[in-house]
Amino acid sequence: MRIGIVCPYSFDVPGGVQNHVMDLAEALIALGHEVSVLAPADEDSPLPEYVVSAGRAVPLPYNGSVARIAFGPVSTARVRRWITNGDFDVLHVHEPLTLSLSLLAVLSARGPVVATFHTAMTRSRVLAAAQGVLQIVLERITARIAVSALARKVQVEHMDGGAVEIPNGVAVAKFADAEPLPGWPGECATGTGGTLGFLGRFTEARKGFPVLRDAFVALAATRPGLRLLVAGPGDPDDLYDQFPAELHERITFLGLVSEADKARMLRSVHLYVAPNTGGESFGMILTEALAAGTTVVASDLDAFRRVLDGGRAGRLFPTGDPVGLRGVLSELLDDPAGRATLSACGDQVVANFDWPVVARRVLEVYAAAIEATDGRVIDQEWVGLG
Amino acid sequence: MPHMWWVVAASVVVGLVAAYLIWTAGRVERLQGRAELAARALDAHLLRRAAAAAVLAERRFGVELYAAARIALDASPDEREAAENDLTRQLRGVQLDPGDPDCAAVIAASRRLALSRQVHTDLVRDARSARSRPLVRLLRMGRGREWPRYFDIDDPTLVVPADVPAA
Repeated sequence: MRIGIVCPYSFDVPGGVQNHVMDLAEALIALGHEVSVLAPADEDSPLPEYVVSAGRAVPLPYNGSVARIAFGPVSTARVRRWITNGDFDVLHVHEPLTLSLSLLAVLSARGPVVATFHTAMTRSRVLAAAQGVLQIVLERITARIAVSALARKVQVEHMDGGAVEIPNGVAVAKFADAEPLPGWPGECATGTGGTLGFLGRFTEARKGFPVLRDAFVALAATRPGLRLLVAGPGDPDDLYDQFPAELHERITFLGLVSEADKARMLRSVHLYVAPNTGGESFGMILTEALAAGTTVVASDLDAFRRVLDGGRAGRLFPTGDPVGLRGVLSELLDDPAGRATLSACGDQVVANFDWPVVARRVLEVYAAAIEATDGRVIDQEWVGLG
Repeated sequence: MPHMWWVVAASVVVGLVAAYLIWTAGRVERLQGRAELAARALDAHLLRRAAAAAVLAERRFGVELYAAARIALDASPDEREAAENDLTRQLRGVQLDPGDPDCAAVIAASRRLALSRQVHTDLVRDARSARSRPLVRLLRMGRGREWPRYFDIDDPTLVVPADVPAA
């Protein structure tokens, strides 16, 4: 099958949607399909060979944050040329309701168009102000995919349409084969040692870092050798200032890590802790930790409960409760057999999120979209007759 | 010559209205056609599932499942939704083993049916909303073609989607 995928955000900046698009494209290529990805990118930036650059992305304050997007007549011409040259069986756009290449591609194409909605709120203020325009965009889409139950709920309730829920994939092999950081995770025996991991923005309230901090401080007092490995954006001083000075040497801060180092970091801990207090729609990091074979301890949020199969693949603790978390941590650190049972179950769970599996489900949606339209993806003058 | 400008303005307006009407007619036509194609695809997947269930029933699970599959295959259009729901209920009532090729065929057909139903529902909704616009009704665009109908059945998905066999 010839597949055209449009990524709205520049590959020059790492991000969830970009990673998703690259992993999906690689999984589809591995399954024997021809894939071309259109994305904004600087002229001189190195790109995988299946990516076609649509030109430089312009940083634009947009919808409360800064988005690097490509939009305008030049981008439109490039999108249309790409569609014409590509001769695709199916066009797959990501986040089509942002002002981006994806929107241009949807408006320019006729034929089987599949759209993936990533975030729960893809409906921008610009488009919300123009209901008619929104309808025209949505009408061009043949089949919709939502990556989480929450994103699907938004589709159903606010955009008057259904969507097939297909979760984010995870490149299981990349995580399972990653080399732990030198010297990690270290000793872990009854009553002593052990390493906890946290990845994310520790200053953001909903990530729940203070819950883990309180549990760690309490547990470290009774458990010699307990260590904490933290990765994510932020200032080291802001992190260390939260802890009593005598614990500083037991905390290691890696800063912002690359995808490869993220995998190594997840392999370097005995327990990965996700103390989030809300706002998670999927819990990508949990599937990644499971893929790395690390035991997961997570707050009892809906999204986490779903990923962890109701607690069989990882332990849940009452959301926002440091005492509950401390109890679970102390119990699991002393119980290697319990950790092994959880990881074994985690392997089974994460197999459903492996990219080849997810890509085959996406292919079924492509097939359904192709059946509901006649012919291939063709370029269409969208200012003219629709 | 002020009245010349009136002529120019009037022709521009007439031109814009005409372009809008042609565009709207094309849009109604396209959405209607797409809903019809989706209905055909849905029909094919319903038949495929019922056929797979009948094959399975001949080997295992016996008379009731076979009867439900036959009734679904032969149902007249106004009984079809109920017949398909019966078949879904029958299939939910038996223990399907994903390792068995006939069971796997039924599971796969059900999953594809669920996708096709989702797409059909969305496209029917688009087509109906385009056709129910006042201007479209007034000018009777899309006349001569039946209003697309929803196909209202329970979600036919059988098991939590796990691995999808390679096509």
